[in-house]
Amino acid sequence: MLICSPLEQFAIVPLIPIWIGNLYLSFTNSSFFMLLAISLALLFFHMVTVNGGHIVPNAWQSVVEMIYEFVLNLVNEQISGNSTKQRFFPIIFVIFTFLLFCNCIGMIPYSFTVTSHFIVTFALSLSIFIGITIVGFQTHGLHFFSFLLPQGVPLPLAPFLVLLELISYCFRALSLGIRLFANMMAGHSLVKILSGFAWTMLSMGGIMYIASLAPFLIVFALTGLELGVAVLQAYVFTILLCIYLNDAINLH
Amino acid sequence: MLEGAKLIGAGCATIALAGAAVGIGNVFSSLITSVARNPSLAKQLFGYAILGFALTEAIALFALMMAFLILFVF
Repeated sequence: MLICSPLEQFAIVPLIPIWIGNLYLSFTNSSFFMLLAISLALLFFHMVTVNGGHIVPNAWQSVVEMIYEFVLNLVNEQISGNSTKQRFFPIIFVIFTFLLFCNCIGMIPYSFTVTSHFIVTFALSLSIFIGITIVGFQTHGLHFFSFLLPQGVPLPLAPFLVLLELISYCFRALSLGIRLFANMMAGHSLVKILSGFAWTMLSMGGIMYIASLAPFLIVFALTGLELGVAVLQAYVFTILLCIYLNDAINLH
Repeated sequence: MLEGAKLIGAGCATIALAGAAVGIGNVFSSLITSVARNPSLAKQLFGYAILGFALTEAIALFALMMAFLILFVF
């Protein structure tokens, strides 16, 4: 078949089928690319910091330092108060780096985007959400429930507002996952649809042969946009994570 | 019959893009207005605008998700 479905690139193929009892725990291409992202990041960070790195950084080392300082500034700006926020820096840094590498590896043609699957992003955002709620209860005890009632609310309105705030609080876990997954999936299928369109025009021959340059240029521009979106979504995920964490630590 | 209804439903789901278009336009028009008033804040405001753009764009993608749900799930 010449023109495949644009969603075909998201298919999960088991590379090493593994059965444990009735559980089907195969090593799929999704887990392969996840491992690839983690090992690339670890290797990259290890190589530039051998013997503590150089005093005057070379190009690779300054990339790593830029990522590190970027996340450090994010944590320092978004989370107010100075006592506990540095405890959360490592996990925020790891999440940002993981998402960045996964999204960027997905931009290579014919590779697989791990973050374009809802189950992956939702598992990440739900576990973060549960962790943040635990942090909130640990810091404030039962006083954390006052998060659900904004200050200066008339008493008759309180039951509705508590319900609304509870819904919006729980919806955070869902929206954090959906945002990342939908952006990656929509972008990749858009590029695929347009390149299929360009290919069909190219194979028609004649005047269409020259006219197909236009969709090719659009695909080229969209690939640049997608590279931007890949970095931006990792950033948005991290900054929202910091904002939610700030809410849990400092209440309103 | 069901197939046709699905296609119509998926098409209708994309009407939501009108709202997202207005939202993204609003984000950037506000950015231009603010930078024209105070050019020294341009860099900081651009960061906020990009964040706002990403959040607004994500809402538009919820409509795309609805379209996919209608097309492929039912």
